[in-house]
Amino acid sequence: MDQLRKRAARKPAPEADTAASSGPNGRHSICMVSDFFYPNMGGVESHIYQLSQCLIEKGHKVVIATHAYGERKGVRYLTNGLKVYYLPLQVMYNQSTATTCFHSLPLLRCVFVREGITVVHAHSSFSAMAHDALFHAKTMGLNTVFTDHSLFGFADMSSVLTNKLLTVSLCDTNHIVCVSYTSKENTVLRATLNPEIVSVIPNAVDPTDFTPDPSQRQGDRITIVVISRLVYRKGIDLLGGIIPELCLKHPDLHFLIGGEGPKRIVLEEVREKYQLHDRVRLLGALEHRDVRGVLVQGHIFLNTSLTEAFCMAIVEGASCGLQVVSTRVGGIPEVLPEDLISLCEPNVRSLCAGLESVIAGLRSGAYPSPTAIHARVRHLYTWRNVAERTEKVYDRVAGEEVLPLDRRLLRLREHCGPVAGSIFAFLAVVNFLFLLLLQWLFPDQVMDMAVDASGPRGLWGPPKRDTMSAEEAAAPATKAE
Amino acid sequence: MDGERYTDVNGKAIALDQRRHASFCTEFTVSSPKVSIGKVMVYTCSVWLLAYAVFFLTDNTAVLSSAIIITLIGMMLYIHLVKVDHESLLVIGSLGVQLSSSYASGRESTSFIEMSKIKDIVINEAVHMHQIIYYLCILLRDPADPSAVSSVVPLFQSSKPKLNCLVKVYKSCQEIISKC
Repeated sequence: MDQLRKRAARKPAPEADTAASSGPNGRHSICMVSDFFYPNMGGVESHIYQLSQCLIEKGHKVVIATHAYGERKGVRYLTNGLKVYYLPLQVMYNQSTATTCFHSLPLLRCVFVREGITVVHAHSSFSAMAHDALFHAKTMGLNTVFTDHSLFGFADMSSVLTNKLLTVSLCDTNHIVCVSYTSKENTVLRATLNPEIVSVIPNAVDPTDFTPDPSQRQGDRITIVVISRLVYRKGIDLLGGIIPELCLKHPDLHFLIGGEGPKRIVLEEVREKYQLHDRVRLLGALEHRDVRGVLVQGHIFLNTSLTEAFCMAIVEGASCGLQVVSTRVGGIPEVLPEDLISLCEPNVRSLCAGLESVIAGLRSGAYPSPTAIHARVRHLYTWRNVAERTEKVYDRVAGEEVLPLDRRLLRLREHCGPVAGSIFAFLAVVNFLFLLLLQWLFPDQVMDMAVDASGPRGLWGPPKRDTMSAEEAAAPATKAE
Repeated sequence: MDGERYTDVNGKAIALDQRRHASFCTEFTVSSPKVSIGKVMVYTCSVWLLAYAVFFLTDNTAVLSSAIIITLIGMMLYIHLVKVDHESLLVIGSLGVQLSSSYASGRESTSFIEMSKIKDIVINEAVHMHQIIYYLCILLRDPADPSAVSSVVPLFQSSKPKLNCLVKVYKSCQEIISKC
């Protein structure tokens, strides 16, 4: 590490980078960064995966950087040569890495340089690694995009702090993507952003994964399906109030609840207290591929979230042909057309009333068939559409200039107040000096450029045994030292 | 041997020597540069200056003598256990692969892997000391399940050549392995 032969402390040249960034025929090299990726399960994870796959299909180069999950560390490849770096960074809380602003720079710089990244796309405001990556990318003079997947409050102490951090992190980010208009409004207010640099691109579901199958339903009963993590944010306490009330009124009503979490105890208590063991089934954590099998057994999909930026679950439910009942919170009213969803206020009485009317409608056969619902929903949200719109964001961002250090410091001071602004301006300077040190220790030119294997035209396309190159064989058994 | 120049992952020059003993037998030797006198001086001076500083504060001569002993033992251990001058890979078709590394002190360590145990030789990527590097490795066949890989033996561990050098070795190795 200490032998220094080449003193090539190249200063990041934003102009040069932006000129090269779109490459031949507008091809971008994108690095998705988030703490949340498979094997962890959730909306952000599948969003990153599906979006990456569609972007690869469109001919862009995509790599994903996340932190190591247990034994899964090093470099892995997914379908179509999608490369995932599981970097050995310390996990602090809730799968989010600890942040010191600096320690992740050497590895992330290595990824950005060797992959020839031009756009860094960070996901989820809960992810410390995403914010770190934005910070480093701006120091290195790369274009940045951020996708916010969640809504926040403004009132309590923790949101005040996270909102301040978000302000700092996003004030010099090139473009921000939100998943719904409510989420956009929320993010613009929280991070005091210019609304013009915020785009709305909703999430999508894979309609071929969620097809209806009415034969799985049991005719002698009405089943309500709930699939969510059993946490406070998802309104599980409301669910605990709804279950006894409705079960008392309708003897043929059954609940099917998928998901795991700290609020499971609430549901177990309710089940115990009202002796509903045969009518309320708790399935525990579900694999994503098993979700459809559970959904098709139900007639009604119930979502009790207290806050939600864009609810993927209700689209999945509707795609399987279920009647959706949901709370009217966050971005949910934007998601489905009015006749496919019954919206209620987030309290037990309103939700019960909503469910009652849907149950009555089901008994009288007032609703369209599951296939008809599926046919309407299947074209609403597709990943190809999401990828097209994201591509436009990248095109726009690639033409923009990354602020050089002096203007970045001014922007931080102006935008984030004198105290936080000064602190982060100082951190930005230190980060820049650290980058210079790294560029001196491990010059960019010395680093091997990574072999691009992704995409249909990539080296891993149709395998050709006779001309097998080193890169093709590099796939199996990835292992970190 | 050929005009191409190779470096390791830190940008230091290394030499790759390829000897074809027969069509099915090739030996690759990667040589790292010798220990530079400048580096020895820097380390020795820093230890001694530190020792002198401590001596200046404590007036204890044992500090100085222990500094001398530490430097000598450190240097000996370094050339005997750490510093590798040459690493070689001898591939003999249908027989096996011999890996040997000779240390600066003259010590050699050699190991041999039978061809029946080798599943393949591949280039892989790994995170190594705040860097992500390519390396060449031998995949060992799992005796219980011939299609599975039981473990991985990294090659040229101390010299860490860059990708262009690895590709050259890889191609020659594949030529020999594919024949048997």
